Amino acid sequence: MISGGRGGKSAPSASSWAVSASGKRIQREMAELNLDPPPDCSAGPKGDNLYHWVATILGPQGTPYEGGIYFLDITFPSDYPFKPPKVVFKTRIFHCNVDTAGVLSLDILKDSWSPALTITKVLLAIRAIFTNPDPSDSPLIPGIARLYLADRAKHDELAAEWTRRFAK
Amino acid sequence: MEDPNTHDNVDSEKISESFLCCVCLELLYKPVVLSCGHISCFWCVHKSMDTLHESHCPICRHPYNHFPTICQMLHLLLLKEYPIAYKRRENQILEEEKEMGIFSPQFNSQAYNHGGNPASLSTMGFESKSPSDSLSTRKGEPYANLELLNSDSQVQDDGVCALIEIRSGNSEVIGNVSLKENTSKQVLVSDVLCLACKQLLFHPVVLNCGHVYCESCIIIPAGEMLKCQVCQTLHPRGFPKVCLELDHYLEENFPKEYVRRRDAVQLKQVVIECSTESCKQGKNLPRLTVPHPNAHFGVGCDSCGIVPIIGDRYRCKDCVEKIGFDLCGDCYNTCSKLPGRFNQQHTTEHKFELIRLQVDAYASEDSENGSPPPALPGDAQENADSGSAANVTSTDGGEDQTGSQSTS
Repeated sequence: MISGGRGGKSAPSASSWAVSASGKRIQREMAELNLDPPPDCSAGPKGDNLYHWVATILGPQGTPYEGGIYFLDITFPSDYPFKPPKVVFKTRIFHCNVDTAGVLSLDILKDSWSPALTITKVLLAIRAIFTNPDPSDSPLIPGIARLYLADRAKHDELAAEWTRRFAK
Repeated sequence: MEDPNTHDNVDSEKISESFLCCVCLELLYKPVVLSCGHISCFWCVHKSMDTLHESHCPICRHPYNHFPTICQMLHLLLLKEYPIAYKRRENQILEEEKEMGIFSPQFNSQAYNHGGNPASLSTMGFESKSPSDSLSTRKGEPYANLELLNSDSQVQDDGVCALIEIRSGNSEVIGNVSLKENTSKQVLVSDVLCLACKQLLFHPVVLNCGHVYCESCIIIPAGEMLKCQVCQTLHPRGFPKVCLELDHYLEENFPKEYVRRRDAVQLKQVVIECSTESCKQGKNLPRLTVPHPNAHFGVGCDSCGIVPIIGDRYRCKDCVEKIGFDLCGDCYNTCSKLPGRFNQQHTTEHKFELIRLQVDAYASEDSENGSPPPALPGDAQENADSGSAANVTSTDGGEDQTGSQSTS
């Protein structure tokens, strides 16, 4: 048998099969999200295209991001869920795991992706790094990571300032 | 492709969370149980597998090298439990398979007499045992002789097996053969028996070959590999874990029998002979962090299911299906050459050729290596082994389907 799956040379020109299978799965997730949305999160297709979503996460209480509304763009690959979705922050945020282009470093969106993960779980994971930034493992913004470790109060002050300026 | 059937209009059948596939989030179809005990659909496992390295369970990330055979017991259980939804899934998947040109194994439930007839079980009940006279007509059409078999099983009043009308090209389930009178609509204890003790499964484990036993009925002789008592297939990677979803189902649906079985097993205090030595034994491959130099990327063995094949690879020269038919060295030397895992019409008369990944041999026939990957739909596109496939074609004259695809 010639095997498919992940990890091969990726030549992702979507067959109609892949599109219909991934489309069905995305529709399922959409139904699930509407039925039982994760706390402080929402997500859904931007327009007609099922593969482009927009999501919002409310800054969790007790964090400097509290009161902010963060918009994210989600793009599903045609071989979803066998490849992770691409998630990008559209709202600027002062966070050591999110770079200026809005790209976030989250292991489950890269090597640790599993086809059993869903957008709901991804949103919850992103919400978790609001509460617990990860400055240790090669942060995208080393400066913010250093500040987070060295002067937490200053870090939180700046983050709250950015929240007021960009996320409200 | 908008299919109204895909939406959850399965009103009449409330599908248990246990039987939703973690990958497609729909009712499991042709379930495969990994050695960690987690279940997924045949195609979902196939698509999730890593073609370069060992694969990991989508749920628990437990590593595995072998693509297990479909668990027929679970397949029939789901068909009985959710006849409407399961057939809907069958139609849906068949449509997708037709588009891909690659097919999953077809079952003839008559041939699967769970726990009853070892002779028929040993063939795994795959409908791929084609009558030899149909060989001439089967080119590129895996279902050509399935039609024959279907009409055949209709005569046998094959109650539960979903029959597919291929001729119409419309893949409609023939209504009047679904669930005939003399087959019970309900799942009975006799549908969920252990193949060894012939009693209700308690803490079921599913082997790589798809056969199901009680955990306590599995005994690995010291220094040997676990072997299926029914089909004699070796189970790689030591002791399989209990399939908890199935176990919960049994506990819920057969509470009295389940408690009786639990008490009996506890009374027996079966000590499972799983010496650490025997667990380490066998075909376990070293964990691959970098691609193995002798790995045939993206090519799996149709017998034991290992992906990728390491070392010698035997490719069938006579199987015309897109997905091809390959055996690893061990299976080529030991196993009977049974039908493939994707409904390939492989027979014992077919000839194999040995494909070795020798660097120098590879380099000398480099002429075709620059060609793009074979234009196979979907999963086969990522076949990193296109180089050797192309080499093979050049010797074959490019007449078969794989060949014309890979050189296009």
